[in-house]
Amino acid sequence: MSSITLASADLKQLLARVALGDRTAFRRLYDATAPSLFGVALRIVRQRDRAEEVLQDAFVNAWNRAAGYQAALSQPMTWLTAIVRNRALDELRSGARHVAESLDEEEDSDASAIEDTQPGPLGLLEQAADALAIRDCLDSIDGSQRQCLALVYYHGLSHSEVAAHVGSPIGSVKVWLRRGLDKLKRCLGATSE
Amino acid sequence: MNYDRAKLLDRLAAEYVFGTMSARVRSRFNAIQRALPAAREAVHAWEQRLTPLARSIPPEKPSAAAWKAIERKIGGNASPSFASTWLAWLKPMLGVAFGVVATLGLIRLYPTAIMPIDDIVQERGTLPASYVGLLTDEANKPVVLASSTRHGSIMSIKILRKVELPTGKVLQLWALPPDGEPFPLGVVPAEGKSTFRMTDTSEKLLSKVSRLAVSIEDAPAGAGAKPAAYVLTGNCVKLW
Repeated sequence: MSSITLASADLKQLLARVALGDRTAFRRLYDATAPSLFGVALRIVRQRDRAEEVLQDAFVNAWNRAAGYQAALSQPMTWLTAIVRNRALDELRSGARHVAESLDEEEDSDASAIEDTQPGPLGLLEQAADALAIRDCLDSIDGSQRQCLALVYYHGLSHSEVAAHVGSPIGSVKVWLRRGLDKLKRCLGATSE
Repeated sequence: MNYDRAKLLDRLAAEYVFGTMSARVRSRFNAIQRALPAAREAVHAWEQRLTPLARSIPPEKPSAAAWKAIERKIGGNASPSFASTWLAWLKPMLGVAFGVVATLGLIRLYPTAIMPIDDIVQERGTLPASYVGLLTDEANKPVVLASSTRHGSIMSIKILRKVELPTGKVLQLWALPPDGEPFPLGVVPAEGKSTFRMTDTSEKLLSKVSRLAVSIEDAPAGAGAKPAAYVLTGNCVKLW
């Protein structure tokens, strides 16, 4: 979203003040970024209460680590998104064990939750590609690879979950993802960011 | 850096950031990152590359309770998140161990990488510069382990033996400079682990401090406060 890019310098200022323990700045940083970051977490863990826990842990983490934030190396949103994604993926993976042990219906409900989320993961990937002006490059990636990439990045699906979702053997999914990532790296490397 | 290892780290970093690693492999790769600057750099590069993709995700408003919980967690007596405590705690204390574990982890993940990563441990062969304090009770039994990196301002606390604390009271950690008044550092829990942010970096606050102490207070001590009787004391040493 362009508003985030525009606010990046302000966010850097806020983070610098947060590093000094400024709680007012921290609240402003939260107000400015929490909805976007909550959206990221929610897509991955798929439950509002778990996503809120992820968001809370991520912000506490950001508060503790703000002094180590290096403005020259990373945009504030990139830094914060990485914290949220990492926490969300840890949460999802730790929960994956429970899902595997639970009834099949639960997994089905997870799968349907993905279908119900609009726009779907592939739509998000295409929108991002449009915004980054790499749509042509993305379109050159094979359709199955594209779908796998989108399911993994936006919903945090594991290899086996992607395989079940697209109805392909896990070996093929791994190869698609590896190749897809290589191609995506080239596409993203061609952007100005 | 060895080219094969750089390629391997790039691939692992891609899978880590992208999210395809299992919980077990993620946790091992987290350890590798803590020990290897090159791994952190590879992850950073992938984060820079992939994060723009997240911008197409529609924002969602979290509940008002989320902020309240955060506020509570970063408060003076808050118990920080497990992840931050764990990280802050492990970094200063287990640098060498991580170097070794990370190497073994990488080898276990990718056995073919044994040769290229021989120099991994060399890259991080010593503990990071830190201040470490070990406080003991009257019977000289260790009770509180306090540590913080030299240029950081987060103090990590591990309670080695549960402290009996009357309800409504707090355990206040003090720095005791040899030629000045004791000054408060923060509040420590009666058991478990926690972290708190100090008013400045360890280097600024502790470079001349050789002793630490804990007293039982009615409330967290502010600047200029005088300590009640110490229940725990110990040495504060420089780990470099």
